Amino acid sequence: MDVLLQILASGLTLGAVYAISTVGLALVFGAMNMLNMSHGALMALGGYMAWFMVTGFGLPPVAGMLAAVLVCAAVGVLIYLLIAKPMLQSEGFETRIFIATIGFGAMLESVILMAFGPQPKPQPLAVQGGFSLAGVHLPIQNLLILVLSMLLMAALALLLQKSRIGRAIRATAQNRDAARLMGVRIGVVYALVLGISGGLAAISGITVSSLSSLLPNMGGDPMLKAFIICVVAGLGRVPGSVIAALFIGLFEAVVQYTIGVRFSFALLLLLVIVVLIWKPQGVFGRQQGVRL
Amino acid sequence: MTAMRRDLLLCGLFACVALFWPMISGMRYSITQTTFFFIWATVVVQWNLVFGIGGIFSLAQVAIFAIGAYVTAMLGYYLGTSMLLAMPAGAVVAVVASIILGIACLRLYGPYVALLTICVSQVLYVLIVNDTDCFTNPPAGCMPLMGGVRGFSRFGDLGFRDWLGAGFYVGNYYVGLLLLSAAILFSIMIIHSPMGLAFRALRDNPVYAAARGVDRFRYQLWIFGLSAFFTGLAGAFYAVNTGVVGPVVFSFQHLLFLLSMIIVGGIGTVWGPVIGAAVLMLADEAMRELGDFRDIGMGLILVACVVLMPRGLTGLFHDISTRLAKSSGTEGEKSCQR
Repeated sequence: MDVLLQILASGLTLGAVYAISTVGLALVFGAMNMLNMSHGALMALGGYMAWFMVTGFGLPPVAGMLAAVLVCAAVGVLIYLLIAKPMLQSEGFETRIFIATIGFGAMLESVILMAFGPQPKPQPLAVQGGFSLAGVHLPIQNLLILVLSMLLMAALALLLQKSRIGRAIRATAQNRDAARLMGVRIGVVYALVLGISGGLAAISGITVSSLSSLLPNMGGDPMLKAFIICVVAGLGRVPGSVIAALFIGLFEAVVQYTIGVRFSFALLLLLVIVVLIWKPQGVFGRQQGVRL
Repeated sequence: MTAMRRDLLLCGLFACVALFWPMISGMRYSITQTTFFFIWATVVVQWNLVFGIGGIFSLAQVAIFAIGAYVTAMLGYYLGTSMLLAMPAGAVVAVVASIILGIACLRLYGPYVALLTICVSQVLYVLIVNDTDCFTNPPAGCMPLMGGVRGFSRFGDLGFRDWLGAGFYVGNYYVGLLLLSAAILFSIMIIHSPMGLAFRALRDNPVYAAARGVDRFRYQLWIFGLSAFFTGLAGAFYAVNTGVVGPVVFSFQHLLFLLSMIIVGGIGTVWGPVIGAAVLMLADEAMRELGDFRDIGMGLILVACVVLMPRGLTGLFHDISTRLAKSSGTEGEKSCQR
């Protein structure tokens, strides 16, 4: 029983961490059909920025985190202006943006490596200590991540559902041309979406590094897992991807406990292949008709 | 002269020039680097069949290459198989693996295929690196089944060391040249065959092609299988040529390097990938002195090329030549083929 609760606790934490980065990816894909392969590098940038602000400038943790979010959001907007915007209307946009963001991610990662070095660094934005509840050991950090993730998801849901700009984002995701005809400024929406995604990547990078440590290539694995979650949920389905993230987190915790850590990624992949063959549009995806 | 004749002629010309390169250059470094060029060019020429001609955005080519390399190395290491036998065996295993991947990607399109294939190669990497259980215990220490982080070494070579002594690398050079020439020849034959036409039809308009009776299932398996043979063989030859196979062949940098070649050269053309491989090898050589800036330079080349020059260098040449033809008075017909 204790073991079950422990697995549940660590699985939910993992899921919460994944959810933050997955939602950023899903938002971007939903709005502009773009798979951002530099998301992992953005996560690393966020983690390092928080470290730099707190240990270098002596900012308080919350201010350091905000600064990291702002920097990553700015880089997200930069990706839109420099890379996505010139090729937005062209043929094969999905493929080309995928390749271009791979290149951009590699560049960003090398810059981080040059600036901060290859040694792992501890993330200062981590709270030590923990407490026991009903025989289950709960680190405070994990609880913080869970709460932070829930708050972020709620804020994002509010933004998307209730605000004017959220409506513009959803309209663009549903039908780009119709949204433009209704007077939605597509460019602003795209820049905003990439900015939000960059900010979420920063928070996700901080949480990931607070559980392990800072490394220039730390974003690679979480990014691939976030993509797996996106694919399982159906690319671009924002609420579905949160549920899928929590499920995958639990799945991974169970696999790690029962079979072993080194098979968890392989089994995740097996899961995604099964899902893709069974439902190519994802579990929460809509079946889309092809118009000729 | 048909396009196929022209391509075959160019291929012959290229092979003839390359035949004499070791005699002209004489420097060991340039010859071994050219051998690597042959290997990478072989991989991207075959990748071009899937990505450029078939229009399937698969990133599995690096994994298939690595499978060819690993199977060859493991056969040589564990069973002592002669490399002449192990190399084709590696290629055949690569073909089987590729066909299985082709089936897994069958119902996906575009970026989904890229995601699935990139995940497959990442999982193979993680499984190999994290494997710490000893399979055998040679004097050098514990040896996991797949070589672990260290990988395999001393699994045999093609026998050039005994035959040519210190000049063995020239032997490897000619094997590499043979490999690339065969790969280019193979790609020309496929591109200009009815099968190549079917691949392009499926790429340009899948629904119309299906309506005309082009079976997507069959052709997708064909293209995954066909493109894997020389990729696997290139991996096998890479193993023999370097003498070491480690998990680094799965790495992201490696993927980036090869992807840049195909993009810089021009997707979907016969010669684009070869040109791209040559340009990227030269650029890599030029940036060798720059140390850490090398990776940034590689990323920059890729991004700049995708944003500014989506059809690559061959597309650029094509545009310039048509513009020149126009300005010299003749109303050149507007060409928009890829």
